[in-house]
Amino acid sequence: MPSWIAGVAKGAASIVVTLLGLLAITFFMGRMLPIDPVISIVGEQADKATYDMVYHRLGLDKTLLTQFLLYMRDMLSGEFGEALFTGNKVSVDLARVFPATIELASFAIAIGIGVGVPLGILAAVYRGTALDHIARFVGLLGYSSPTFWLGLMGLIVFYAALGLVAGPGRIDVAYIDMFEPQTGLLLLDAAMQGEWEVFGNVFRHIVLPGSILGYASMAYISRMTRSFMLEQLGQEYIIAARVKGMSRWRVVRRHALRNILVQLVTVIALAYAFLLEGAVLTETVFAWPGFGRYLTSGLLAGDMNAVLACVLIIGLIFVGLNLLADLLYRLLDPRTR
Amino acid sequence: MKTWLTAEITTSAFHARAQRFYYGWLRLRANRLAFAGFCILVGLCVVAILAPLLAPEGSNEQSLALRLRPPSREHWFGTDELGRDIFARIVWGARITIRISCLVAVIAAPIGLAVGTAAGYFGGWVDTVLMRLNDIFLSFPGLILALGFVAALGPGIGNAVIAIALTAWPPIARLARAETLTIRASDYIAAVRIQGAGPLRIILRHIVPMCVPSVVVRITLNMAGIILTAAGLGFLGLGAQPPTPEWGAMLSTGRQNMLGAWWLAAVPGLAILLTSLAFNLFGDGLRDVLDPRSE
Amino acid sequence: MRRIFGTAVAAGLLLASSAMAGTPRDALVMAWNLDALITFDPAQIAEVNGNDIIRNVCEPMVNYDLKETSKIVPSTAASWTVSDDGLTLTFKLRPDLKFPSGKKAKAQDAAWSLQRAVYLGFGNAANITEWGFTKDNVAEKITAVDDTTLLVKLDRPYPVGLLLSAMFASGTTAILDREEGTKAAKITDGKSDYGNAAFKTNPVCVGPYRVTRWQTNDVVVLERNDNYWGEKAKIRRVIIRHVPESGAERLLLEQGDIDVARLLNTDDLIALEKNPAVHIEQTVMHGYGYLSFNGLDPILGKPLVREAFRYLIDYDGLGKTILKYQGAPRASLVPEGAFGALDHAAGQPFRLDLERAKALITEAGFPNGFTKKYIVSANNISPQIAQHVQANAAKIGITLQLEQMADAQLFTRARAREFDVLQIGWGAGYPDAHSMISRHAVNPDNRVEAKLAQYPSWRSSWIDETINAKADAAKMERDPEKRIAAYHEIQQFMMHNGPMAYINQTIRTIAVRKEIKDFAITPFNVAYATAGK
Repeated sequence: MPSWIAGVAKGAASIVVTLLGLLAITFFMGRMLPIDPVISIVGEQADKATYDMVYHRLGLDKTLLTQFLLYMRDMLSGEFGEALFTGNKVSVDLARVFPATIELASFAIAIGIGVGVPLGILAAVYRGTALDHIARFVGLLGYSSPTFWLGLMGLIVFYAALGLVAGPGRIDVAYIDMFEPQTGLLLLDAAMQGEWEVFGNVFRHIVLPGSILGYASMAYISRMTRSFMLEQLGQEYIIAARVKGMSRWRVVRRHALRNILVQLVTVIALAYAFLLEGAVLTETVFAWPGFGRYLTSGLLAGDMNAVLACVLIIGLIFVGLNLLADLLYRLLDPRTR
Repeated sequence: MKTWLTAEITTSAFHARAQRFYYGWLRLRANRLAFAGFCILVGLCVVAILAPLLAPEGSNEQSLALRLRPPSREHWFGTDELGRDIFARIVWGARITIRISCLVAVIAAPIGLAVGTAAGYFGGWVDTVLMRLNDIFLSFPGLILALGFVAALGPGIGNAVIAIALTAWPPIARLARAETLTIRASDYIAAVRIQGAGPLRIILRHIVPMCVPSVVVRITLNMAGIILTAAGLGFLGLGAQPPTPEWGAMLSTGRQNMLGAWWLAAVPGLAILLTSLAFNLFGDGLRDVLDPRSE
Repeated sequence: MRRIFGTAVAAGLLLASSAMAGTPRDALVMAWNLDALITFDPAQIAEVNGNDIIRNVCEPMVNYDLKETSKIVPSTAASWTVSDDGLTLTFKLRPDLKFPSGKKAKAQDAAWSLQRAVYLGFGNAANITEWGFTKDNVAEKITAVDDTTLLVKLDRPYPVGLLLSAMFASGTTAILDREEGTKAAKITDGKSDYGNAAFKTNPVCVGPYRVTRWQTNDVVVLERNDNYWGEKAKIRRVIIRHVPESGAERLLLEQGDIDVARLLNTDDLIALEKNPAVHIEQTVMHGYGYLSFNGLDPILGKPLVREAFRYLIDYDGLGKTILKYQGAPRASLVPEGAFGALDHAAGQPFRLDLERAKALITEAGFPNGFTKKYIVSANNISPQIAQHVQANAAKIGITLQLEQMADAQLFTRARAREFDVLQIGWGAGYPDAHSMISRHAVNPDNRVEAKLAQYPSWRSSWIDETINAKADAAKMERDPEKRIAAYHEIQQFMMHNGPMAYINQTIRTIAVRKEIKDFAITPFNVAYATAGK
């Protein structure tokens, strides 16, 4: 068996184990929650007979282990169950909330890359200058800011006081019926259907939360870019190329940048995953009907079906990206070989 | 004193250590941003210690008649929805922030070190099991894991600390493992082993001390994240319980009135920002000082 | 940071010029918290917001008068008669009732709708089962005589006013399309859901609007029902948008992006008072914010200790500050405006009096105070009120350890009797003293295993057989004057001996843009159809 197949098999096995562990922890943690999911269905004033009926229907009278196994069986057949706090199938809910978050996160990562990478390169090339210090400080500031607080302040300043951007939500109600979303990514939908007015409105909604999330990932990306770049610029071949008379920017473009590309992609992938986390609080502040808010509402309602599905998906994304990072780390760092 | 600290030949182990510390201090002083971070942190500690002097009335002196007053001479940072002085609450809140971050560090660092060094040193199935566990925890975004744990354990500072510590150890373990892998291969470990030292002794006496500097840096850098997570939990109502003047919780209630009374959200938010920024600046500088490999 | 914002702001400015100002002319746009909304099936809806919407889509058989809430007026039922023995009630439905499709709605549909509510057995079934109907007898007791006549046979001669108010004005008596419901019924394990799954998103019934779109936690769109029997809705569409933050709603309202804001906190309302483009309307609801004490606790079980707590609440101060626009201070358990309620002054005899409270706990045997846990919702003003009580209690030596939590968790703890002091809310189902007294004073069985979690009295482990008997006698009293007198007596007793300390009657406050005329809010009905632009 070629070694790469073994590698892949091993990787796949480890993913399965990780996900199982993830599910088990979440499941049992969820059943420990001091929140009774039945109440969100029957209402707080319901009597015992009603309560018992739903309790039984949800299978909560079975043993924990049986519940877990049943849940696993449903999962394997692609059935996430019903989200109690929305009354929908979890899969239906996820199909609705995920695009909103993906759109927000993509907008943010675009800013993160667009600003972060050039900033990181500049800081590395002009190492030790004022530019480097400023870039570093701006980056650290992004690291240190509570994004939900930036969101609140942004709303006060740019929406309430200046009226430059649109308020909470993804789109003005006036446009809700004006067009039928296809992909759920409203910017894309509006552009594809040539609804430029809608596009403008959606843009005005996304620009603030997107920029604030983007700032956080920009901080991370620029910092990593800088350190990768510095490592490259210290290499002998770069010095040699410089000595041979190649211009500074040519060296950066032709050699250094090309060499850090793999690392950079990993970092960006990780930054993207972290955006999903940042979205939890940002979405709360901006009333963004996305995945993060879905997860928190589900958690606060004790709705384990919804929470488990969300955690599984987030877990999948994280595991995949961590695996990638780990692989590259092994490949690139000779010390760990 | 200065000559003693800079003497070329050290006379004792203590002397050598003191000297190393002194040179580290000088390097830190030279890094302006890091030093600024350091000063903010010291200032925060001073404020926390002097809280009874700075705000003798305590953090929970209510007055319905004085609700939502903007910043003024009497109330530097204004008053909140129950007429409490926000300055006093920020001052007392500093104690809570410090307590949370220290507790998390004290819990998470040993766990991370133990798991990481054990996995790195023993390798094989120990490594596989521990790292799988590590992966499981890493595959949750920190805030979501903490959210789940606090929701299950019940809200409150104690539980928040446990929950955050549970999310904070995996990166430390990963780092410690990586360090251990490089140290394990070195000659002097082999030498110690030939002398007959057991694994526990090797880990505790020879590997852990080598890992400590990078772990300290890592924890300091993570401290900002810890503070933000704690604030996030408070913001979602799952952290400190009222009337505890935890900054995140203050921000959360402040949000309800953010339009009419901007200071309610702005002040605690700034406090959180300043503290986590200070930790980041300081941690950054500390890395330069302690870890000669970087830069 | 400045760079990003700079670009973003510039882009925003460019696009701003093309944006539309204000809401569409043919739509009423409302912002609200739609978190708890999980269904539109009238047999299942168990929360305030869903109920508010559904009463504009599915009308009950009779309704509360918009001006005088405790008066009953015809709705889909045009008239009713009671037999002399008081055991038979005959309703004449309007002959012109139509579903949105244009199909006639008949008494057979009405009978089926009431029966299915009992069969489904959700919490709302209690609106019907409380009056002697069961799964076994409802099919014979509620029947259609012909297309417009509904016959209801009772097991006891209840006062007709009470029965109309409690049962027939409840949303559970909405007339649903039997044919649609039967066709869409899902059978699992041999049990039908009577169209519950289908009606969840699209309840086919009689009312001025119909639900045309519902995206969970995002938006609900109602469209005018052009086949409605009564006066047609003035505005064609109602768009209800999920905006769970007061600040955000205020901004949207000020910017003209919405017409009505439903979830505003005190300070945002105070700010909006000064805005000439907005007017504020309020109505006192039949719900309460109150403290509940665990009767099994050796300290809190003492009436003197509970009485002390009533003197720790600054009713007056709260009413002027934190409760402004949110609640009207009231200590009696029957809300003002309900049949049989104590009047304003008699219903609120307490005031903040630390010395009196101290004397009471000293008399109870705890001169040095005590320490108790206090659980409260993390929402809205609840934590503020809790901290107010906590601070006052601390002044007489009582330490209250607060724990705030999500509503779902608070309800769980309350229903499981897991609390010392509990701060929570309760909404009365109808404007009659019986609604509150039957749940907050009456406790049919105090044993743990009885699990009567729908009774707050049971949750507090509080029982008084005399009160049980008096409440039952009052419920059957057909002379209105005597009923009122009986309820007054019960209220006076409960105010000093009961397991609760009522803090305030809730107030529903909304802010409406000036362009909107005649948007009617009352305790049990918010009528969207009368509003015009």
